[in-house]
Amino acid sequence: MRGFAAFARKEFLEIVRTWRLWVLPGIVLFFALTGPVMARFTPEILRAVAADQLGQFTLPDPTYADAYTGWIKNLSQIVLFALIIVYGGIVSSERRSGTAVLVLTKPVSRGAFILAKATVHSVFLAVLVVAGTLVTWGGTAIVFGEAPGGALWSASLAWLVFGILFVALMTLFSVLISPTAGAAGAGLGAYALVSIAALWTPLGTYSPAALTGVPTSLALGKSVETFWPVCTALLLAAALVALAVTAFKRKEL
Amino acid sequence: MSLAIRTSGLTKTYGEHRALDSVDLEVEEGSIFGFLGPNGAGKTTLLRMLTGLARPTSGVVQILGHDVTAVDDSIRARIGFLPDVPGFYDWMTAEEFLRFVGRLFSIDRRTLDDRVGMLLGLAGLTDVTTAIGGYSRGMKQRLGVAQALINAPELLLLDEPTSALDPMGRRDVLDMLTSLRGRTTVFFSTHILADVERVCDTVAILDRGRVVAHGPIQELTSRYAERKVILEVTDAAGDLAQDISREPWAASVAVGPTGALEITVTDMDAARLAIPVLVAGRHTGLCRMDAGELGLEDVFVSLVGGGAR
Repeated sequence: MRGFAAFARKEFLEIVRTWRLWVLPGIVLFFALTGPVMARFTPEILRAVAADQLGQFTLPDPTYADAYTGWIKNLSQIVLFALIIVYGGIVSSERRSGTAVLVLTKPVSRGAFILAKATVHSVFLAVLVVAGTLVTWGGTAIVFGEAPGGALWSASLAWLVFGILFVALMTLFSVLISPTAGAAGAGLGAYALVSIAALWTPLGTYSPAALTGVPTSLALGKSVETFWPVCTALLLAAALVALAVTAFKRKEL
Repeated sequence: MSLAIRTSGLTKTYGEHRALDSVDLEVEEGSIFGFLGPNGAGKTTLLRMLTGLARPTSGVVQILGHDVTAVDDSIRARIGFLPDVPGFYDWMTAEEFLRFVGRLFSIDRRTLDDRVGMLLGLAGLTDVTTAIGGYSRGMKQRLGVAQALINAPELLLLDEPTSALDPMGRRDVLDMLTSLRGRTTVFFSTHILADVERVCDTVAILDRGRVVAHGPIQELTSRYAERKVILEVTDAAGDLAQDISREPWAASVAVGPTGALEITVTDMDAARLAIPVLVAGRHTGLCRMDAGELGLEDVFVSLVGGGAR
């Protein structure tokens, strides 16, 4: 895997020194900071602005679980959509700008090029999720006075696996589809398909599609099957990266 | 004779379009080889296949004795390449980019320190500390040449290396290429004929994907010069031009700026016999008759400039 370390180092520096440092981290930290506060005060806000419309319906008092599910919901929707859009050009942007030509005429294998990107950005996502979960955990403890760690961390780590699966998927789409918007559209379409697939019980229990619902269940402290969804998602992510490498080797630059 | 580059029957098609058509090319090790052709002739396509960025439709392409399509990535450790429009990471400085490229070649730190300093000087970027995103095209081109040399390559492949440079920058790059003669094989594509005449030993001319001429510059110019006759007579040059244009061996006749006739001939032996007879028939004096000396530009224009483009 010639050139992996040098190219991975470049990828890391590119995150630290370009817009990449602000977009995903900004979104993640914003929701991590505001999530517990919103969970705590949303019922009060609703009562204040729409009390006459609630009628006999009484809003339950908020708990730490509301903060946890809010965090997972934001990861599963806004953060995931941002990830899909940001990584739509993870490979194609280097082809368009000509940097891939300069790098790949050096003794760097195309496999190392793809693998370095998938690895560094998966690690980046892991750091973001861990940092965001820490902030959510601390914020929840401050706002609600209690914040059991097990439910939050198991839910966040289960979602992280789902996020890594989408980093791998977007790497493949970015190899196959040159326009960033096209790859991002394919990524959003894939998310819709996965969400629909999760409705069928076998897929919704054992396949990566289960990870659309498992994190929320874990955040609520429920006992759900996690082994098979996590294993199949990691295997599928590895297969998608392998496919991206194969497809990239066949591409003419 | 060992060859740095050899292609045989190299063909590349994109759908119906034949970008390269059975190209046979041999580049000797240590030579400076100019690859000439008008825009769209297929120069960049050939370089993309030499570097493994594209695959041939058919034919053989070898670099330093290895088949490019069969060999692993290690062969690229021995070549340097500058594309026609080099793409850089705009957030890096020139020094950071050279160090990044050096690490891709696994060059040890001490050697890399020396080379980075030397190449920044060569590129005129020693004191430039801003990010590459703010560079002019000329600065990027000079940095592109520098990065192509970071591994002290055995074979240097350059696609239009002087096209974005001012006259001083061009001179510096050409001097640098000249200094590599005998140590590194330099293969560069260009449409700037003066650059080729200045530094190259050998040239190939590509037109519409085919090599239409290939050889040492002197040999090419003398080969094509034999087809042109310059004729000076004392008077009646216009009448004589009409006489000559009717001859089957005369492809064209033109009156030059000095009044001399420039005759392109298809059969030099027939022309040598007939021209004095035609001059005598017009009762005019023969001042000069010789094969015209063509420059590379004349050869280039005569080979690729005639057809409708």
